[in-house]
Amino acid sequence: MAPALKASALYKKKEGTLSITSNQKLLQWVPREGDKTVVITVGDIANLQQTPETAAKVMLKVFEKSADAPESVTHVFQYNSTSNARGEANAIKDTLSVLLAAIKANDGNVTTTASAAIPITSAVASNQGSASAKWYDDDALKLDIELQQSLMKKDQPLHRTYTEARKTKPDTISDSQFNSQFWSTRTNVLRAHAVEKNQKRGSYNVLSAVKPKVVDNELKMNISAEQIQLIFSQHPLVKRVYDENVPKLNETDFWSRFFLSRLFKTLKGERVADADPTDPTFDRYLNGSNENRPNQRLLELHIPNIINLERNEENQGGSKGGNRPDFTMRPGESAKVPIVRSLNSLSEKIMAHVAPSDIDPADPIGMDEETFNSLALRDLQGSAKENRIILNIKQQSQFFANETPEVSTEAALYAKQVPTEVLSQIRLELSLKEVHGRDGKGIDLGKAIGVIEDSDSDEELHHKIPHVGSKASIANATKQILEGVKSRRIEIDGSDAKSSLSGLSQRIFERLVLTHATTTEFLHHFWLLFLSGDPDRAGELAKMVETLERSMDRISAVAEDAETERNEVIRIERQRVRDLYEKTGKRLKWSADAVGGGKVIVKAMMEPTIKTLQKASKEYKKALAVEGIDTY
Amino acid sequence: MDRVDGTEHYKGDVSQGPIPALLLIILDTNPHAWALLNRDLPLSEAIANLLVFINAHLAFHNANQVAVVASHCHRAVWLYPRPGSSSEGVDMAGGETPAINDANKYRPFAQIEDQLLTSLRDLIQTTTPDDVASTNTTQMAGALTLALAHINKATLAFSQQIGGTETTADHLGSSDDTSGLQSRILVLSVSGDLAHQYIPIMNTTFAAQRMRVPIDILKLAGDTVFLQQASDTTRGIYLQLRSPQGFLQYLMMAFLPDQTSRKLLVAPTQEVVDFRAACFCHRKVVDVGFVCSICLSIFCSVPEGAVCLTCSTHLSLGEYGSKPAVVPRKKKKRRKLNGGDDTPSRPGTPVPNK
Repeated sequence: MAPALKASALYKKKEGTLSITSNQKLLQWVPREGDKTVVITVGDIANLQQTPETAAKVMLKVFEKSADAPESVTHVFQYNSTSNARGEANAIKDTLSVLLAAIKANDGNVTTTASAAIPITSAVASNQGSASAKWYDDDALKLDIELQQSLMKKDQPLHRTYTEARKTKPDTISDSQFNSQFWSTRTNVLRAHAVEKNQKRGSYNVLSAVKPKVVDNELKMNISAEQIQLIFSQHPLVKRVYDENVPKLNETDFWSRFFLSRLFKTLKGERVADADPTDPTFDRYLNGSNENRPNQRLLELHIPNIINLERNEENQGGSKGGNRPDFTMRPGESAKVPIVRSLNSLSEKIMAHVAPSDIDPADPIGMDEETFNSLALRDLQGSAKENRIILNIKQQSQFFANETPEVSTEAALYAKQVPTEVLSQIRLELSLKEVHGRDGKGIDLGKAIGVIEDSDSDEELHHKIPHVGSKASIANATKQILEGVKSRRIEIDGSDAKSSLSGLSQRIFERLVLTHATTTEFLHHFWLLFLSGDPDRAGELAKMVETLERSMDRISAVAEDAETERNEVIRIERQRVRDLYEKTGKRLKWSADAVGGGKVIVKAMMEPTIKTLQKASKEYKKALAVEGIDTY
Repeated sequence: MDRVDGTEHYKGDVSQGPIPALLLIILDTNPHAWALLNRDLPLSEAIANLLVFINAHLAFHNANQVAVVASHCHRAVWLYPRPGSSSEGVDMAGGETPAINDANKYRPFAQIEDQLLTSLRDLIQTTTPDDVASTNTTQMAGALTLALAHINKATLAFSQQIGGTETTADHLGSSDDTSGLQSRILVLSVSGDLAHQYIPIMNTTFAAQRMRVPIDILKLAGDTVFLQQASDTTRGIYLQLRSPQGFLQYLMMAFLPDQTSRKLLVAPTQEVVDFRAACFCHRKVVDVGFVCSICLSIFCSVPEGAVCLTCSTHLSLGEYGSKPAVVPRKKKKRRKLNGGDDTPSRPGTPVPNK
């Protein structure tokens, strides 16, 4: 980029230098003597003016509007360079206008939430670098309509919720406001979707992926241009062959012969059987090297000396003496096990193009602290000191000395009792004959539990309170236990789909689900606005309240529909019963209560939502009353 | 070789058959509450029914064990086994003849009955009216702690008895329950007002959860606070009796099966659990409150100076509690430099139609 521009200029009748800093963020004027430097951030420049070419004096007027200053400040610089005032002025002016234009374009991305949506024209111009900045910028995500639409295409229920809510929103909320509200709670979903879309497939081994298909008795093969590119980049030899031969052969011929040739098999790594057809054009290259420039990559790597085994070659006889490695590991013999070698080298090449995940290219060459730590011998050092944070748990009992807790019902009852009486009563109980054995014999437990085997339940009904162990009480106990077992069992077995719908048809149920989703959405926004305490958004709040009322109406509408449906079902059933009676004379017992569904069920299902809606409007009215506004 | 000569049969491997169980009963003996209950279920009858239940439990397996703790108004006391009685015994020369010498009563049953009643009577004798007047509630946390310690001891003793050198640290945390003693706790609760013991009770609940000891609750009277959570977390049974006269039936039908049988049965526990907690500052039961992000202590209102009471960190509140603003701020009218219109509501000057 252009180097820092300098020009000599006058500011407020003082001489000095006007310059743009090299990072192009600041425009500054430094006086020749004295220290009143003027620094203007390029971002704050609202407007520029320069005297036209024909004027004698060359002046630059900068309108600066910084974020916290109430008004814009004007700076006037007069270029007084003897040699090239006009040229310098033009240079500075051009640079500044380019910078300003760039800033204005970027500004289009970032807007406040209250403003209307500006479609992203610069989304087209944005490159890879700004994409990642966009992901973390909540406001940018909210304004990216393309992203939202692709997300909705992918996620059908979300799309339905969106269209439904949009259809039913009150007209006072504008479309853009609705959009921003809807997406402001879903920014994390948008972000995940953006990241997902941005992922690309990495490079792969093309030669093994390409296979001929047999169609109509002849071999067909489809290769895309992308695959051809990949082949060329992975196998420079093929590129060389192509470059040398293609003007003579045509493309389709070239590729069809290539895939049948021995060269192809060698590159894939398969062994070349003698039965393979030879092809004069390609066989010339059978021994050609498939490397870009051999060992170029190795030289680029910087291996720390502590693990560099090649250095060992200089010390001893190296691997030449000693045990011979396995025949797959022997260097230099490529004919025996070509697949190992070619796969390895191919993988290396592919991996070299993939962005390294564990190496930061900005790291200094040589070992950094992390690798040193991983290579260091930790066992020889002592054990680390424990680094704990002490929590100061204070005793809280002294806080409650003065508390008078609320008195529960039991405590009130207990307070009425006299302790000595209570004790004596208990003592009496324990000395009763039932529990106090006499003469070394224990209690007669049979009598103590009070179960009278042959008693009739009639006798026991005479007593107001059945005695412990009476048949009636035992029966009640059994009943309670069995009820508990039954309700647990229903939970364990799970309810089947029919009963969970409770007689509502599938269509009505889906409508109900959708209404519920949209109502929850609106409620969410209402509470966000209401509790934020931000007076600027009070207007939006009033509109939200309208929306909530509409939601209430929508629920009633669904209830009405369910009711009509239910009546329809009842009518049909009644008709059927009547027909049956007329035909066969049999009377079927059937009551309308057996038919589920209808308004009652809908209201029961939506009861919590209805309650929340009522609570929300109540809170709002209360807050209005506090402010002194009359609600009609 | 073992299979041929039948050595397996003689090894006495207890884990082949049904596993013995330890039933630990916590009897809430709050005198106030029992006095109120006297009309429906007098204490004497309750104790008698409880003894029948204990006998039934012991009858299931000859290695089953039982223990009873009384949770009294000011302390928790062992009722059975009587503390100190194990040290006495044969050594006492000419010691007391066992109080119950009935030939018609199965000796272990008689022994338990005797010790239980004697301990209970001693407990009541030593209670003064001041003790009774001093508190409304019972020492549930203390009783639960005693229970868990006893379970731990019994489990260790049992595994040493059968296994010899096995370490029981694995048993307590292991997922397979097929070896070792199966323990459970049954709480007969008649009092409420346990909010002051919230923290200790939750601690014992989590310890029981770790040890896989279900805590069953049988509620005769009193509000339910926290005991529901205890039984829910430890997968025990919670029952609130509708007809206290059928006390024995409840015990026998719902609480008698041990853990292995419960896997095959549907438990009649109450499904709606009250998950509220008590605030740490006032011990009030709250459902919406403030939580310290460091130590997770719960407060019903903002503590003084916004300093957490347990860990003493300074906490900030954020935007919570700001007054909801329903009136838009009145905009100041500004004169713009360019003379642009900022009062769009004012109609423009009428232009004659062209």
